[in-house]
Amino acid sequence: MASASTTARNVDRILAARTKAKFGRSIIYAAVIAMAVFSIKTTIIDDTDWARLGSVANVLASAAEFLGVDWGLLPNLLEPAIETIMVATLGTLLGVVVCVPAIWFGALNITPFTPVTYPLARLMMTLSRSIHEIVWGLFFVAAVGLGALAGVLALAIRSVGFIAKMSAEAIEDLDPNPVEAIRAVGGSDFQVFIYAILPQVLPVIVGVVIFEWEINIRRSSILGLVGAGGLGLVFFRQLNTFNFPGVTTVILAILALILFGEIVSYYVRKAII
Amino acid sequence: MSILSVRDLRVRYSASGPEILKGISFDVEADDFFAIIGPSGAGKSTLIRCINRLVEPISGKITLYGTDVLSLNSRKLRRLRRDIGMIFQEFNLVDRMSVMDNVLSGRLGYVSNFTALFRLFSKEDIGSALSVLDRVGLSDHVDKRADQLSGGQRQRVGIARALMQNPKLLLLDEPTSSLDPKISREVMALIIEIAAEYKVPILCNIHDVQLALEFCNKIIGLQDGVKMFDGPTSKMNSKKLDEIYAMEVL
Repeated sequence: MASASTTARNVDRILAARTKAKFGRSIIYAAVIAMAVFSIKTTIIDDTDWARLGSVANVLASAAEFLGVDWGLLPNLLEPAIETIMVATLGTLLGVVVCVPAIWFGALNITPFTPVTYPLARLMMTLSRSIHEIVWGLFFVAAVGLGALAGVLALAIRSVGFIAKMSAEAIEDLDPNPVEAIRAVGGSDFQVFIYAILPQVLPVIVGVVIFEWEINIRRSSILGLVGAGGLGLVFFRQLNTFNFPGVTTVILAILALILFGEIVSYYVRKAII
Repeated sequence: MSILSVRDLRVRYSASGPEILKGISFDVEADDFFAIIGPSGAGKSTLIRCINRLVEPISGKITLYGTDVLSLNSRKLRRLRRDIGMIFQEFNLVDRMSVMDNVLSGRLGYVSNFTALFRLFSKEDIGSALSVLDRVGLSDHVDKRADQLSGGQRQRVGIARALMQNPKLLLLDEPTSSLDPKISREVMALIIEIAAEYKVPILCNIHDVQLALEFCNKIIGLQDGVKMFDGPTSKMNSKKLDEIYAMEVL
């Protein structure tokens, strides 16, 4: 058993350590608060046009302009809405095709030449995900011109990252036993993939693709902002002509579309898995 | 004249790692049911996987029906593998495929990638799949998915898949370790019957010494990558068994 003096020394040591830890924590808190204050000062206080904003009543009045729905716009929304869904669907399907090499190269257990193909696939995935769909949209509008094609291409490229990452990880986690069995009967690498790998990961891949399709409906409904077709283009026109109830109508239409996507994806996923 | 001869086989999984097999030699004859026994980690699974080169040995010589196994290129190796049926401890079926597709996958060594992709197996292949399934007693389960079957049934699918290859040698890797004692005996009895019908020699890893003594005519005992016993089952006795399994007690 420790003597009284050892215990006292230990108590002192622990107290000193706690004081030191508290001091360190207060410095971190102070730094975070200073950062926040500085950010508010530079981005909000200095950067806002306070004169134009006017009084609180003014702000409320501007916001109120968005109340109300422009029912007359509704018939004109059907075609862009269908276009939005088609862009999302084609973009997702094309994305799946582009994904195939990324999945093949990006799964450590099947990648053909790890030092080259694996980093290549990872680069593809990161590039796809780290660039916003609007930026991809701008890029493809510049490349192929205004219209839905640019939207399809933007969504395809934007979808690669997530689908390929999840699918490659599913392949890395698969049960190696059937793979060994198909090898043992004399199967080629391709046959191993078709018979032992694909059946195991197909439910995961299908689930991921449906999820991505649902997200792509969201994305394609705003891609029109950069001229890539669909509901976003109508949204942009309404805003430019100061038809604020029209803007609200388009937002509601987008909401309905996204709801539709979520419902479809719920039932399809339930049917498959 | 032996069918399979293994000489001075050495295996190491990494350049700096320990030797898993330290110079193993043995011969399998045409009518052998050949058992490999030994404690866990002795190298039984490694040894059996060297025969069809699922594991690559670092040195030694394996001759199967006059073919020098270790010198084959990858195309010829696939040719060789289709002549070697393999049955696994965990059955190694593709769970999400039907029993029929699992059995047909035994023909993959004989068909093109295109046939495999669209599953365009011939009438003869489907016919022989039905007859091997009948032989192993699974005619009622042809259309079920593999994961709907019990352990014993799944191992029978594994046996049917191996038979689809028209094998000239059967490798068994702990075929009964995932089964209860009664089913284990049934499966071993089925395998020994089939081996006689198809006139195919068997090389079998087995943990359960009792089953080995009961069903096999020859035994080699491995301990830590070294062969401790090689001979007919009749020469095996409890003293030699104790020697082979001495490591496990420690």
